Amino acid sequence: MDKKTAILPCNGLDKCAGCVSREIAIKLQEEKNAEIICPVLFRVADARYNKVASENELIVIDGCNTRCATKLASEKNLKVSRKINVTEASKQYGIEIQSKLQIGENEKKLIDMILEDILKKDDSNGENSSILFPKVLDYEIYKKDKFIFRLPKEGFYFNENDVWVYVQGNLARIGVTDYVQQSLSDIMFFTPPIVGSEVEQFDEVGAIESGKAVFEVISPVSGKVIRVNEALLSNPEYINENPFEKGWIAEIELKDFESDKMLLLEFDEYFEKMKRKVDEFHV
Amino acid sequence: MSDIKIGVVSCSGEECFGGTISRLATRKVLEDLRLGEAVTICLPLFIAGGEEERNFAKVYPTVAVDGCSKLCAMRATEKYSGKVNAVVKVDEIIGKEKALEKVVSLRELPSDYMELVDKVAQEICKEMDKISSDILKKQAEEELKNSGECSGGCCCCGCK
Ligand code: SF4
Repeated sequence: MDKKTAILPCNGLDKCAGCVSREIAIKLQEEKNAEIICPVLFRVADARYNKVASENELIVIDGCNTRCATKLASEKNLKVSRKINVTEASKQYGIEIQSKLQIGENEKKLIDMILEDILKKDDSNGENSSILFPKVLDYEIYKKDKFIFRLPKEGFYFNENDVWVYVQGNLARIGVTDYVQQSLSDIMFFTPPIVGSEVEQFDEVGAIESGKAVFEVISPVSGKVIRVNEALLSNPEYINENPFEKGWIAEIELKDFESDKMLLLEFDEYFEKMKRKVDEFHV
Repeated sequence: MSDIKIGVVSCSGEECFGGTISRLATRKVLEDLRLGEAVTICLPLFIAGGEEERNFAKVYPTVAVDGCSKLCAMRATEKYSGKVNAVVKVDEIIGKEKALEKVVSLRELPSDYMELVDKVAQEICKEMDKISSDILKKQAEEELKNSGECSGGCCCCGCK
């Protein structure tokens, strides 16, 4: 935790979610010795924060899907290492927050859970993955104009939402396919799933975002998220470089892969589907 | 209670304790003292938003509430939307030194915060009342002018 952190919260006043953002920022300031960037002052007089925002690990906290803080970060061309959206997190944790501006019991619970998640991730940084992922993958290639779509030939399953899963024992690694990264083009943000959260097959398990769109990663399996690819927080472009290798998204402890498998596609089937999608839609 | 709605825009308050007090006082006005008469907007949304948000200070007569002398709420509102009708300067009410202390979580507010919030909230209400009465006065004057009647007494406007 020695690397200095800067936090840019939306801190909006007319929504409880904005107040929650601010509370998280203040707590992080204490726990991580982080510096808070006031979004309003940053806009009105950015010299005060330019250095802090560009030279440190930057955590952006949005209250709601208007994503004021994210917009500000992207206008200022800042590299964001972590994004939190209070409204999304409240859905993920199943904690409803009020429309009034008070920080009540539920809001406190949500603040604590989000903080715990952020701090836990710090502690687990640098841990090695316990999944033995193949060092070299053998790909089949499909070309369309200047675009190249690869697909590993063995050991992977896919869902219709263009997400892959590689399974080993009761552990799985997931990620998106080339079809997703080519469609989105330059990926700018990665919102990881919460470590420790339980997901069902076809639940959302993180999101990636480019200037074009936001893509919700739909989990091909059910289980518990045990690790996320921290490298993507500061380098989401790894997904463009290779979504099967350094651009993987998360690892999941499987609940019942045998039944998940029934709704997944193997190489041949997905390769055909992907080719059709590529031909039908203009990437 | 008049049906005039007044906008209260509070500074974000990440720079100092004065900002925290601005937020709390604004909330007290919105949720308690002037429920239904005051409206607000997230200042970051105000600045980042589009046409609709930018019209805020044109649609509502607005009071800016600022935690310190940087006057972010007033400056941002005037830059992006329109002239504010009044500014409540928290540092002048609670004292500069106190206002410049560091921000605190709502869970760990100092014991005297309630008193400070009340003082600022009262000031916001005072400004709101002044704006409402000015508007009402103007409306009444206009009505009189339109109906061609005079308020009585001796005048030289030509009325009968
Ligand atoms: S992200 Fe939502 S809560 Fe935060 S300032 Fe914008 S509109 Fe308000």
